[in-house]
Amino acid sequence: MASISIPVEKRKSALVDWLTTVDHKKIGIVYMGLSFFFFIFSGLLALAIRTQLAAPGMKIINQEFYNQAFTMHGTGMIFLFTIPFLVGGFGNYFMPIQVGARDMAFPKMNAFSLWLYVFAGLMMEGGFILSIIANATGWGDLGLGSNASWNAYVPYSTRAFSPQAGVDVWLIGIALNGISGTLGAVNILVTAYSLRAPGMSVWRLPMFTWALLTTAVMVLLATPVLTAGLIMLTTDRNFSTQFFTTADPRMWQHVFWFYSHPAVYIMVLPAMGVISEILPVFARKPIFGLKALMISTALIALLGFTTWAHHMFVSGVNPVVQRFFMFTTMLIAVPTGVKIFNWIFTLWGGSLNMKTPLLMSIGFISTFTIGGITGVFLGMIPIDQQLHNSYFVVSHFHYVLFGGSVFGIFGGLFYWLPKVYGRMLNEKLGTIQFWLMMIGFNLTFFPQYILGLLGMPRRTATYIPDRGWDLYNLLSSIGAFTIAFAVLIFIINFVIYIVARKGEVAGDDPWEGNSLEWMTPSPPPEYNFKTIPTVHSERPLWDLRHPELADSGKHH
Amino acid sequence: MDGRQKLQPIHDPRRKNLGLFGAIVFIVSESMFFMGVFLVWFYLRETSPAWPPLGIARPNIALPVVNTVIMAISTIAMIIAERGVARDNQRALINGTAIAAATGLLFMTVMILEFASLGFNPTTNAFGSSFVMVLVFHVLRVFAGVVIMAVVLVRALLGQLNSSRRALVQACAVYWYFIASIWLIVFYFLYIKL
Repeated sequence: MASISIPVEKRKSALVDWLTTVDHKKIGIVYMGLSFFFFIFSGLLALAIRTQLAAPGMKIINQEFYNQAFTMHGTGMIFLFTIPFLVGGFGNYFMPIQVGARDMAFPKMNAFSLWLYVFAGLMMEGGFILSIIANATGWGDLGLGSNASWNAYVPYSTRAFSPQAGVDVWLIGIALNGISGTLGAVNILVTAYSLRAPGMSVWRLPMFTWALLTTAVMVLLATPVLTAGLIMLTTDRNFSTQFFTTADPRMWQHVFWFYSHPAVYIMVLPAMGVISEILPVFARKPIFGLKALMISTALIALLGFTTWAHHMFVSGVNPVVQRFFMFTTMLIAVPTGVKIFNWIFTLWGGSLNMKTPLLMSIGFISTFTIGGITGVFLGMIPIDQQLHNSYFVVSHFHYVLFGGSVFGIFGGLFYWLPKVYGRMLNEKLGTIQFWLMMIGFNLTFFPQYILGLLGMPRRTATYIPDRGWDLYNLLSSIGAFTIAFAVLIFIINFVIYIVARKGEVAGDDPWEGNSLEWMTPSPPPEYNFKTIPTVHSERPLWDLRHPELADSGKHH
Repeated sequence: MDGRQKLQPIHDPRRKNLGLFGAIVFIVSESMFFMGVFLVWFYLRETSPAWPPLGIARPNIALPVVNTVIMAISTIAMIIAERGVARDNQRALINGTAIAAATGLLFMTVMILEFASLGFNPTTNAFGSSFVMVLVFHVLRVFAGVVIMAVVLVRALLGQLNSSRRALVQACAVYWYFIASIWLIVFYFLYIKL
């Protein structure tokens, strides 16, 4: 490959360098760092919520703050943590290296996406944080927080019922974040398709890249619809347009869920991609049914666009339409099930290397399966009519998004941070973190299934005793603090073994990986590859380690 | 392997014509934005007893017809410019782009006259909001197209575009054809089929 190196004329200071960088790896690191900060922030809000609900009749936080807390917890975790971490962080850092590229297709647009995300994050959270400060210092209520809940249903989110400016900055922040994500998806799609290394056919794309490519398609098709809705809601609130003031309230629900149901897959598909990378490496065998895995990923993305109205079974949608959406919801469980079987059979008969990335992946599979199955329950019209807006729903989507995405993210961190920083995280602390997370997570959310069946509604700031809810709420709150402790252990692990550089030196390929990122030094140089590698199979690094077997390009 | 040695990504042969592909992907995404705005129009139409609601005069079709003609001329000019650059015909490129940009500006001017002549405004009712929102986003799209054409024009005048370096012209042309198609849909549903 043609490669001309030119020396950079002037050294920039580190700060200017990070602020002006167009390097996909640095942009990825900034994404990861910032979104992890939002994870901590939104997690602290969850702790506030769980403290309030630990016992009946508590008055630790007032109702208005409670409403703002769950609104900001939800939107922070979704828009500022899970999606940016997986797509912006892992995606930016690892996808170009996995396909054998030197950078994203449009590096400057990549930097633009990043800083738009930063700006959007400041808008979404800034007003809320200012409100907290104002309340704490006794300046009174500035009205800069939003309490509209993440789905901002009309008419509650219109000016008449939510007059505070906080809703406006929050809505505009989400819209800008969506534009950032859309541009990022253009970049990902073009990079993953056009900048593949020679010999890397689409079927030889690493599973993480494939999942990210699928996610990018979903972002591109879904996000603009939400952006349109957010703009209309914002003009209704500020310029007296009349979209949602007199219209059927279900119109907003359709626009919102057309984005927000695919958003669930946008949050979980890249995490599925991460564990699909980890499982074959740590089971020391090829992934089971690669093509089935790839096709089912694409099918989930496709079907993900046909299920949105299952969130509206109690909104008075036409029964025929309801049955259609019930059917599609059942249907989407099929490719999801295919993936779960693929992962299990990848583990089956493998010589398992029980390190933290594998533990986290097994955590993913087990908890995500519970979340997925309860999702099928909720997709049935009669069950949903009973359980809608109860804690059963809260528990279900946390099993998918924490049990799925967050376990996937931590698995990915243990797997990939050695590549980013050249040092290994501590295994002992990792194992402790995993078990605390696993126990804490199930302790937090399993009782919430029972609470939902016992009729406890979500978004309630407190409850009266004698409903049979007390014990389960207490268990749930204890679990929440256990999770927080597990995350704290991760931060300690990161600070000691990576920041203070006490970890073992990782070397190029500490795990005997399969994909091209393990071919580069840790951390990779700015240009990633001196010469662009040629790929002969879906496991190029395995080929390099086994030259005697790598002639045919087929190993299984 | 010194980290301060920088490889220019442009030397990667895979990077050729990325811009055109990126533009097409972006256009697909933008068509979904259009869908979002337009689906609200349809939802409101289907759930309203009368459309346009009682007391709202049907908008006059004269100016939109003029605009359809303008858009057609503009599209032809863009086709001439795109074919011109493919054959290294600089005059066709420059004149075609200039005419397409000028007619684009004319389209926007006529649209502003149209806004002034409507018997309702976005605050009147949901019909007015949705009608004007569809048109405003179309004007913004045309404006974006004209800005891209201005860039094409400057680069053409500087002699930076030719048959082997024309992804920018192609991307600009694809975007302009997209805008023209959207206008036909808007014209049909907002005026003819109203």
